[in-house]
Amino acid sequence: MEAFLGGLAILVDPYVMLMVLLGTVLGIFVGALPGISGSTTIALMLPMTIAMGPVPAICFLGAIYCAANFGGSITAIMVNAPGDPSASATALEGFKMAEKGQAGLALGMSAISSAIGGIVSVVVLIFAAPLLARAAYSFGPPEYFALALFGLSMCAAVGGDSALKNLIAAALGLLIATVGMDLTTGVERYAFGVMELSDGIGFVPVLIGLFAVGEMLDQATRRLGKPAIIALDAARVPGWAEMRKCWRSIWLGSGIGTFIGALPALGATTAALIGYNETRRWSKHKHEFGHGSIEGVAGPEAANNAAVGGSMVPTLALGIPGSATTAIILAGLIVQGVRPGPHLFNEQPTLLYAVFASMLAANIFYLVMGLTMAKFFARISLIPPAFLWPSVFALSLIGAYGPNQSMGDVWVMMVAGFVGLLFRRAGFSPAPLIMGLVLGGMVEETLKQSLIIFGDDLTGFLARPIAMTLIVVTLAGLLWPVLARLVRMRRAAA
Amino acid sequence: MIRRFGTNQAAALCVALVAAAAFAATYGFDPVPEGLPGLGAVEFPRLICLVMAGMAVLLFLQESAPHDPEVAPPIRGDAIAIFAACLLAVPLMAVIGMLGTIAVFLVVVGRLWGEVRWPMLLAVSLSMTAIIWLVFVKIFRLTLPTGMVFGG
Repeated sequence: MEAFLGGLAILVDPYVMLMVLLGTVLGIFVGALPGISGSTTIALMLPMTIAMGPVPAICFLGAIYCAANFGGSITAIMVNAPGDPSASATALEGFKMAEKGQAGLALGMSAISSAIGGIVSVVVLIFAAPLLARAAYSFGPPEYFALALFGLSMCAAVGGDSALKNLIAAALGLLIATVGMDLTTGVERYAFGVMELSDGIGFVPVLIGLFAVGEMLDQATRRLGKPAIIALDAARVPGWAEMRKCWRSIWLGSGIGTFIGALPALGATTAALIGYNETRRWSKHKHEFGHGSIEGVAGPEAANNAAVGGSMVPTLALGIPGSATTAIILAGLIVQGVRPGPHLFNEQPTLLYAVFASMLAANIFYLVMGLTMAKFFARISLIPPAFLWPSVFALSLIGAYGPNQSMGDVWVMMVAGFVGLLFRRAGFSPAPLIMGLVLGGMVEETLKQSLIIFGDDLTGFLARPIAMTLIVVTLAGLLWPVLARLVRMRRAAA
Repeated sequence: MIRRFGTNQAAALCVALVAAAAFAATYGFDPVPEGLPGLGAVEFPRLICLVMAGMAVLLFLQESAPHDPEVAPPIRGDAIAIFAACLLAVPLMAVIGMLGTIAVFLVVVGRLWGEVRWPMLLAVSLSMTAIIWLVFVKIFRLTLPTGMVFGG
């Protein structure tokens, strides 16, 4: 209780609240910019947070994460160009509403359902994360190995063309994580005599390269024209009748989003798409879908913001990222010297409750801003790409150089940027690579520790029910699509 | 059986090449000191390489989708010039420093990106460089590379 109150006390700390406010404004701003997602921004801002201290830094990054999902809906509704991938489902109905002259209503509903989804998921986070952490106290290396493996297998469902490509990207991330000194044997791996590589490849330059530089290079090949903006007076607060029509979609989206977010690797985009489909399935006004349904805005918006709190549950309680963005936040925590996991709830409970409180505050901030300043934020999408993308590259240079003041890191960022470009062109998603990179150390370390415990006998896993269950679920999840396809082919042949 | 060589096959070959090179490189690691229990330094990277190679085979056997210009638009000359500008920016920092490079980069790449208003390009370049200097050098006290010209 003391820690909870201590965490809430940050709401009266002007510095932390300023960071939350800045994070919220920045989150909405970048969320509204097509092409720059919340994860790209968090990767770019990571080096800046080093000077802030853990609590303000995590509050700042958490606020960006919360607000970027909402910001993405503004341009999805106004210009049919989702600013953030998680808003792609919102564009389906939101833009249709805007064409019918209901842009203000769509934006108002988006702000309210996003805030409700976000607040519901933070409340779930406050109760679920400590419970999960307590359960995880009995976990040993075998359980953590199985859990990390499960998290990696979930990468199969993250973006990209196919599950196989996602798994390849995750494996590449694991391989990159092995670069540098092996801590258990003291042997240097893949350093090739380069001193900068002895300490391993840093998260920050890889993140910035893959997300920000990769996106910029990809945009250079596209060079889209300026989007046309639909006229808007102001966002309108939905009336009682509209809220009554949407309450079911909002709660459904909030529940789905929190659950999907809490599963390792799956984030806001998956939550929003499933939220949209389920909203349509359970709606009493199915005929409105595809023609500008307000429920079709409320459901996915509640879901993608609820996924934010949900994805923080495994990230903070287990140290397993709940999404690509939380993988970057996890890297930010590690850079700050904070290692998430069950012990964190005993060692630094105030920090955790401060994160929860700041996320609640961010949800309220963007609700107010969304309702009062949507017209201004919608104009952000009109910033000419000729100014936007070179500026992103300039910030990337500083971001990669800043933490270690190393030109080696700038080169790593450049290489990662071109890898990011190739990934995008070949239908690979960079998110699983980040998951692999972040989880790589844990996977290898816990596998080695498990084998020492089991005396180099892999069958030792059979005696650990939790680890075994997770391994079976992982294998079933990976093999199920293959088996289902074989069964379908056999039936078709018969 | 695959009917044509497409993106999946090209990507699979790249992945297999990376896996093979990484596997081969493990033979160059120093030997593990004797007496250490558990896995050594090479087993885990080799396991990943083998898994990657296996997945590369599966990817090679997957039919590629027809070329979609939405996913991979053709790379035109101006895009290549932007790529080159990005690559040149890093060595240029050794000459005119990071802030100087950023100022030049914003003008050059802005122009390559299609902006034709020189005053606008210069104004954006100077104001962005000034903001970066203010935030990172003055507020965050970051020491940026000054280069040969400005660093002396």
